[in-house]
Amino acid sequence: MSSTLVPVAAGPLVDRSLFGVYLHVPFCQTRCHYCDFVTYTGMEALRRPYAAALAAEAELAVAALGDAGRPTVTSVFVGGGTPTLLPPADLARVLQRLRGLLDHAPAVEVTVEANPETVDRALADGLVAAGVTRVSLGAQSFDDRVLAALGRPHDAERVGLAAATLRAAAAGRPLDLNLDLIFGCPGEDAASWERSLEAAVAIGPEHLSAYALTIEPATKFGRMVAAGRMAEPDEDVLADRYERACAVLAAAGYAHYEVSNWARGRRAADGFPAHASLHNRTYWRRGAYLGLGAGAHEFVPEPDGFGPRRWNVPGVPEYLAAVRAGRRPTLGQEALDGEQARFEALALRLRTLDGLDGEEAGALGVDATGPAATELRSAGLLAPGPALRLTERGMFLHGEVVSRLAP
Amino acid sequence: MPTELARLRNFCIIAHIDHGKSTLADRLLDLTHAVSERNMRAQYLDKMDLERERGITIKAQAVRLAHTADGVDYVLNLIDTPGHVDFTYEVSRAMAACEGAVLLVDAVQGIEAQTLANLYLALEADLTIIPVINKIDLPAAQPERVAREIEQVVGIPAEDMLRVSAKTGEGVPALLEAIVRRVPPPTGDPDGPTRALIFDSLYDSYRGVIAYVRMVDGSVRKGDRVRMVAAAGVSEAEEVGVFAPEAVATQGLASGEVGYLIPGLKNVAQAKVGDTVTIAGQPSVEPLPGYREPRPMVYAGLYPIEGDDFPDLRDALDRLRLNDAALVYEPETSLALGFGFRCGFLGLLHMEIVRERLEREFDLELITTAPNVAYRVTVTTGATVTVSNPSELPDPGMIERIEEPYVDAMILCPSDHIGAVMELCQSRRGTLQTMEYLSEERVELRYQLPLAEIIFDFFDQLKSRTRGYASLDYEPSGYRAADLVKVDVLLQGEPIDAFSAIVHKDKAYGYGRAMATKLKKLIPRQLYEVPIQATIGSRVIARETITARRKDVLAKCYGGDITRKRKLLERQKEGKKRMKQIGRVEVPQEAFVAALRTDDGDAGR
Repeated sequence: MSSTLVPVAAGPLVDRSLFGVYLHVPFCQTRCHYCDFVTYTGMEALRRPYAAALAAEAELAVAALGDAGRPTVTSVFVGGGTPTLLPPADLARVLQRLRGLLDHAPAVEVTVEANPETVDRALADGLVAAGVTRVSLGAQSFDDRVLAALGRPHDAERVGLAAATLRAAAAGRPLDLNLDLIFGCPGEDAASWERSLEAAVAIGPEHLSAYALTIEPATKFGRMVAAGRMAEPDEDVLADRYERACAVLAAAGYAHYEVSNWARGRRAADGFPAHASLHNRTYWRRGAYLGLGAGAHEFVPEPDGFGPRRWNVPGVPEYLAAVRAGRRPTLGQEALDGEQARFEALALRLRTLDGLDGEEAGALGVDATGPAATELRSAGLLAPGPALRLTERGMFLHGEVVSRLAP
Repeated sequence: MPTELARLRNFCIIAHIDHGKSTLADRLLDLTHAVSERNMRAQYLDKMDLERERGITIKAQAVRLAHTADGVDYVLNLIDTPGHVDFTYEVSRAMAACEGAVLLVDAVQGIEAQTLANLYLALEADLTIIPVINKIDLPAAQPERVAREIEQVVGIPAEDMLRVSAKTGEGVPALLEAIVRRVPPPTGDPDGPTRALIFDSLYDSYRGVIAYVRMVDGSVRKGDRVRMVAAAGVSEAEEVGVFAPEAVATQGLASGEVGYLIPGLKNVAQAKVGDTVTIAGQPSVEPLPGYREPRPMVYAGLYPIEGDDFPDLRDALDRLRLNDAALVYEPETSLALGFGFRCGFLGLLHMEIVRERLEREFDLELITTAPNVAYRVTVTTGATVTVSNPSELPDPGMIERIEEPYVDAMILCPSDHIGAVMELCQSRRGTLQTMEYLSEERVELRYQLPLAEIIFDFFDQLKSRTRGYASLDYEPSGYRAADLVKVDVLLQGEPIDAFSAIVHKDKAYGYGRAMATKLKKLIPRQLYEVPIQATIGSRVIARETITARRKDVLAKCYGGDITRKRKLLERQKEGKKRMKQIGRVEVPQEAFVAALRTDDGDAGR
């Protein structure tokens, strides 16, 4: 790590006002058919030692920050797997340790992912007590047939119950709810998706994420597709579903602030709704974040703002062994050059509705009023200039826009 | 020391592919101890990589064999001939260098069209024919039946035909004896003014042009100043020699002998097949008969995928031509494909060989347009123009008449497949000339067909309808007028010249339909809807639409996804670089190449 305290890079490459901490909990009761995340069924005996190791790794990570100074944490995100398989007290201990190691912003956002079937009053109380300000529920669908096809361990009704339990436990303290939805699933049709959207809206979450089912090779779905027993979702069907999501959620008062994310609330000066996810914005604005836990990814850029990105070993035993030996459990690392960093910044910044202003675009080597941008505007994919911002139609074709704009 | 004419025997082997010519050549090399056991390998004489892979010979080799019979030392020159229909001219010149021909016929397959075609060439050249039935070792061999077939054609009694197995060697010593006894020695004037026939030439990067020559009159010595009559060039004979089977330099070559001459030239076009070699300054002589300029039959556009590679393609073609006098090419431009060359080939095999060599030896990535023939177009002003690029066909309003090249085709097939073959030929606008039974089981059909109908997939269709048993040979037989039209293919209203084709009006609809369907499958969806149309003039004869793309990947993107997503997007961006822009339509190079391929048989011909 460099010893300069004043960062060299400014502008669109890095947002140094944000610093996140991601914690990964790689345990699940069952594996869903589409899941290729780092998670394991069983391993009950390792769960509590794992929680302790997270706290230990946090110390190692903060020590490694060295001369870069002590940043202020603006968001914490506990993802998985199923984080709520950890006893709430263990989770609270880790979060507490973190607070002891690094200053946290007064309004720090603390998100925990939860599976609807694990949420009971005790858990909800525990989360609130631990300082959690956002809970992300993996709903995926409100059609029981689809949930079964996905291999989800809950039914549609459970989501509403979990939401209500969390609201009750929060009792006036700030607690945002996010619902995750997936479209293009086996067993789903237009009517089923419509019902899922309506049911999600009816629960009244502050935030919603919706994205297309992607078939990864190392999953049950991947094997079924390879064996010809399942068809890949049709491109036009996915486009239809996404279109419906845009329409239903807009009508329900959600702002479509990122390709896969919607939120409510008063708009800030940059157009962002108040209940947008701050932690995810850290990713999209290339803010720094620590990655703690098996398979976790981390980004703490050097002064030039290019990189590196590093990630931990995915295996729990190796993770535990490394941390116990006082070593960061790094598996790999990627150094980025200027071109890659600028390309990343372009791709990530264009995902959100604020996009890039002319100057920021220029700093990334992109002409915001050049022929490529002009053609994209006349195709209705970019909003009228001079900034580079996707229209809602552009969000459908983000990849196309990026490949045409990138130098 | 020159061998007297009386002890020389010059002969070739006529055989269909796979009938065992190379193996027989191996046996002859063995028996005459031309190659030591240590150095011997199978198909010894097939030198080029391409030949060994395809199992066919395309370059003639001349091998000197020594054989003693009745106490006399004879020199037998085996002149190897190309077997493919594309190279008939080369075959005829190789035969002009011989006095005899071993007609090698497979005891299971019997006579094939190619064998017959080359046999007729040999008879035209007045060669003594020694019929030999090969592969008698196979359990399915039917030498009697085959002998009768041959007798029918050649008139030689079946009992006089030799039976051999090139694999086991059985009967081959008797063949050597027969060559000595039955093939006449060469004739010529050893003391007269020098005349030698170039029956093949190639370019070697170390030695320059090497000419394979058959000395007719006089002699050539190292150091002589030699003159090529048709190519009209004079140079110094750097070296002369024979192949035994490797090249061995000698003081000179005399009348009747066969060997090589290195004339100190850099370009095979200066040592043309069929040309006469003489000595500069000697009294002028009649050139040897039969010389002909190479005549391309099939054309195609060759374009580099990367426009920047055009100079490399040009250099590569220049280098290939050093070794291939039959290859012709001219630069041309395509709106769709950029800068490239319109190349003329002797046939489809020639085209395939050239293409493969360009891609392999010169490391070029190429787009090849569908092969086409040259049309003779008479316009309303009375002038006649040759069109070898379909997109250059004049406006229909200006055309008075279009003529296309025809061929005389000879097909040999089993008699129970006659119906299928006749149906195929009729569907390709063929007219039956004659039908003759060579035996109860084999029929020879002669058809006149437009060359354009053959160059596509005629041969493959013929094979598949006869379960592989039919064989085909053809030769040009002039031009004929026909009802031909140009079909254009348009993308979003813009014609793609690379896909224009001249077809018979009855086939126009089929072609247009097939192209439109193929392109719809191959061209990815764009940001706008893309109509594909096939037209004749301004009339649309087929139509497809590529609907607009509605979405990219709609997945989430969080911390752990970023590297993976970035790589996917980088690939998407890289893909754009390999796009050919046709108007507003982005066509990936792979799609273009696939759309122009002719070996998937679905372009409706």
